Amino acid sequence: MTLETTTHGAGPADPGRRGIFTQELLDRCISCGFCLPACPTYDLTGVETSSPRGRINLMRALETGTLPDDDPTVLEESSFCLGCRACEPVCPAGVQYGALLEEWRDHLWHGRRRPLRLRALLWAVDDPRRVRLMGLPRRHAGRSKADGSEPVNLMLGCFERALYPTVSLRAQELAPELSAPAKQGCCGALHAHNGELERGRELARELGEALPGTIVTTSGGCSAHLASVLGPERVRELSQWLVQRDGAAAPPEQPEPEQLRGEARALGSAPGETDDAGAAQAEPPREPGELPRAARPAAANEPAGARRPRIGLQDSCHLRNGLGVWKEPRELIEQAGEYVELPSAAACCGAAGSYAVLRPDDSARVLDRHLDEIAAADLDVIVVVNPGCYRQLEQGIKRRGLRTDVQHLAELLAST
Amino acid sequence: MASLTHHATDLRGDLERVVGADHVRDDAGALLTFATDATPLQRGRPDVVVFPGTTEEVAAVLRLADERRIPVVPRGSGTNLSAGTVPQLGGIVLVLTRMNRLKEISTDDLVAVCEPGVRTVELAQAAAEHRLLFPPDPGSHTTATLGGNVAECSGGLRALKYGVTRDYVLGVEAVLPTGEVIRSGGRLVKDVAGYDLRRLLCGSEGTLAVMTELTLRLLPAPEESGTGMAYFPDLGAAARAVSRVLSSGVLPVTLEFLDQVCIDAVEGYAKIGLDRSAGALLIFGQDGDRHTIDQDMRRMAEACEAEGATHVRIAASAAEAADVLQARRAVLPALSRLQPLTILEDATVPRSRIAEMVERIQEIAQRHDLTIGTFGHAGDGNLHPTVVLDPADEDAIHRAHAAFDEIFEEAIEMGGTITGEHGVGLVKLRHLERQLGSDQLALLRRIKAAFDPNGILNPGKLGS
Repeated sequence: MTLETTTHGAGPADPGRRGIFTQELLDRCISCGFCLPACPTYDLTGVETSSPRGRINLMRALETGTLPDDDPTVLEESSFCLGCRACEPVCPAGVQYGALLEEWRDHLWHGRRRPLRLRALLWAVDDPRRVRLMGLPRRHAGRSKADGSEPVNLMLGCFERALYPTVSLRAQELAPELSAPAKQGCCGALHAHNGELERGRELARELGEALPGTIVTTSGGCSAHLASVLGPERVRELSQWLVQRDGAAAPPEQPEPEQLRGEARALGSAPGETDDAGAAQAEPPREPGELPRAARPAAANEPAGARRPRIGLQDSCHLRNGLGVWKEPRELIEQAGEYVELPSAAACCGAAGSYAVLRPDDSARVLDRHLDEIAAADLDVIVVVNPGCYRQLEQGIKRRGLRTDVQHLAELLAST
Repeated sequence: MASLTHHATDLRGDLERVVGADHVRDDAGALLTFATDATPLQRGRPDVVVFPGTTEEVAAVLRLADERRIPVVPRGSGTNLSAGTVPQLGGIVLVLTRMNRLKEISTDDLVAVCEPGVRTVELAQAAAEHRLLFPPDPGSHTTATLGGNVAECSGGLRALKYGVTRDYVLGVEAVLPTGEVIRSGGRLVKDVAGYDLRRLLCGSEGTLAVMTELTLRLLPAPEESGTGMAYFPDLGAAARAVSRVLSSGVLPVTLEFLDQVCIDAVEGYAKIGLDRSAGALLIFGQDGDRHTIDQDMRRMAEACEAEGATHVRIAASAAEAADVLQARRAVLPALSRLQPLTILEDATVPRSRIAEMVERIQEIAQRHDLTIGTFGHAGDGNLHPTVVLDPADEDAIHRAHAAFDEIFEEAIEMGGTITGEHGVGLVKLRHLERQLGSDQLALLRRIKAAFDPNGILNPGKLGS
């Protein structure tokens, strides 16, 4: 018998720990496996090793020295993971996988030679002066409020201002109350997710100083990183800001991400559709006979003039899984057209920060399902709330020759 | 398994010829991730992991392993809670998740035909699209595979009214460890030709054969459902209410309870407004047509009041029902946040003895200086005593094992079982003889030998 007794995460005084990971984070996982179906890379491979639970087992082996730093599987899996954090909302034990992944990459990648493409990206955004060179919206308002009330500043982003400069302009049209100081750099999310955890936090703190008060962002990924460093009370993603400002519908009860678990699925659930052994459900249950809220083909005999545009959404992973914000963009889209919930709206599109640049083939495989659904739903517009998703979908749709237009939520709302 | 390692290279090559190089893994990282399932503290050490795609590939892998006397551990998604899929003797982990085709849903025969790697929730949703119901709903249903459900005979919350997985298995195709493919049963409700092997394979925990196709029974889906909750000053009163409910002509779809430790933990974590002063919480529910639901919910509420419930509430909407059920859903996560290590068991007693059993569990917990929360299925006596521990506290782990020994003994004495739905696996094997007796255990071994003469399939577990 080679039966061993292992403790999932040993004690603090345990000399067998290397201190790579925060102990409480690593101990949290109870290995129930509920994360498996939520994980895009598990979905692609069907292999435990490429699942969140599998990766946490790899992290534990690294922490105890069972596997070395240069183990090829450890290196591959730390890179293959999209970092989308879809495993977090379905985790009954509250594992903060995103934080573990940052620690993992910080340990494995920090100070090491990484692909030139990644180093170029990190270099470009590492200094606010270089970020400024990427451009500024022409009509930026550089002043904070003079009336002494708490300032509210628009974050201009780094790559977004270079690739999609109209997004910030449209955001300012929608929210003229926002100031947009010129002296602001990158939020540091790219660093934090790619093995430069401390530099990523430093950049977020610098941005927090450059933009005092509340920071409104047009990028889901940036908002989650900023919230993790500066505190969620200082950060509002644009859809959150607009809904709160206008008190549009019901006051957005955004539960804490922890409390959010099971929230969507809880509504309308029938008693039999609960779990055994107290574990949470990972997918929204449907009433018996209810069809999935999948895309339906457009009604054929609708008069052309009366037809509202069919609009889908690509959630930003970190906005949804990290901050629990998913209702607001949907509410706002419904003001602009017929909202169509794609089956994979909440799943990662494969952009995943630098992932699309570093692992283009895997990134494209993750995207395929989304493109299939967009085509099947015959969408007029697919809305994004994150620049990475913008680029990913724009390129994918172009490759496939689909007719669907990609728009940032700010662009959609400003044109309505 | 030192004897294995020296010809591991040959083994890998031979397995690759069967399933293709992409579907064999023997890198240290992959082996490590297939060394465990959802059972805490149990870890094996596989030599190789294989992902077959067809029945023929499964048969070829088994023939190869049988010739060389290499252990084979079948596995689905690895949500097992009794270490049933832990490869503690090494060998081949045979992962069936690639075989995930849902082949058919027949609205005429009311059956589903699928491969073992289909997840429970996928079948349930596909059935629901035809207004049909697949009732077994283990807690892991979003992740767990139907092959695993059948191999473990999973239960769930609806067992009192709808039974367990066994009651829905009409037919199986299975590969014997020696490579032959058999079919037992089919699309028939009535079929008595030969020994009922499909039922023998239910709950056989991967020790007799590898199932490669399942024919599962479906039911018409109920129209609606209702849910309510009742607080009691103590668990005895809740247990008496359960008896009163069941003798009042109601067969509820849901009848779940939480003890005081669980109520306290859930409220501390989820803050959903539970009454922490209550001794027990009973959640009850019914499905069917509106009239039946209204009538049964009223009867159950009355039964609870008659037994001294301090507060009874029937959910007025689906959203409110969800709130009620959230309490039950949050138990394990809530307990797991008290301490990082949770050991969950599923001792089961006749439902008339639930109160007595929970009392005994609390007494055992106190004596061993442990925190044990008990929740579970009041309607079928299936309890989930859960101990929460600091994993670094080895003494506490020893005390927990001692406490569970006593809990199992207590369950057996009350006419219960050491496991209602999680399976014997590795962790309860040493308690099995006490429940079954040595004669029956010997019979189990003879059955195992008839299926698996060389003892390669999930060895060291049931029937070994």
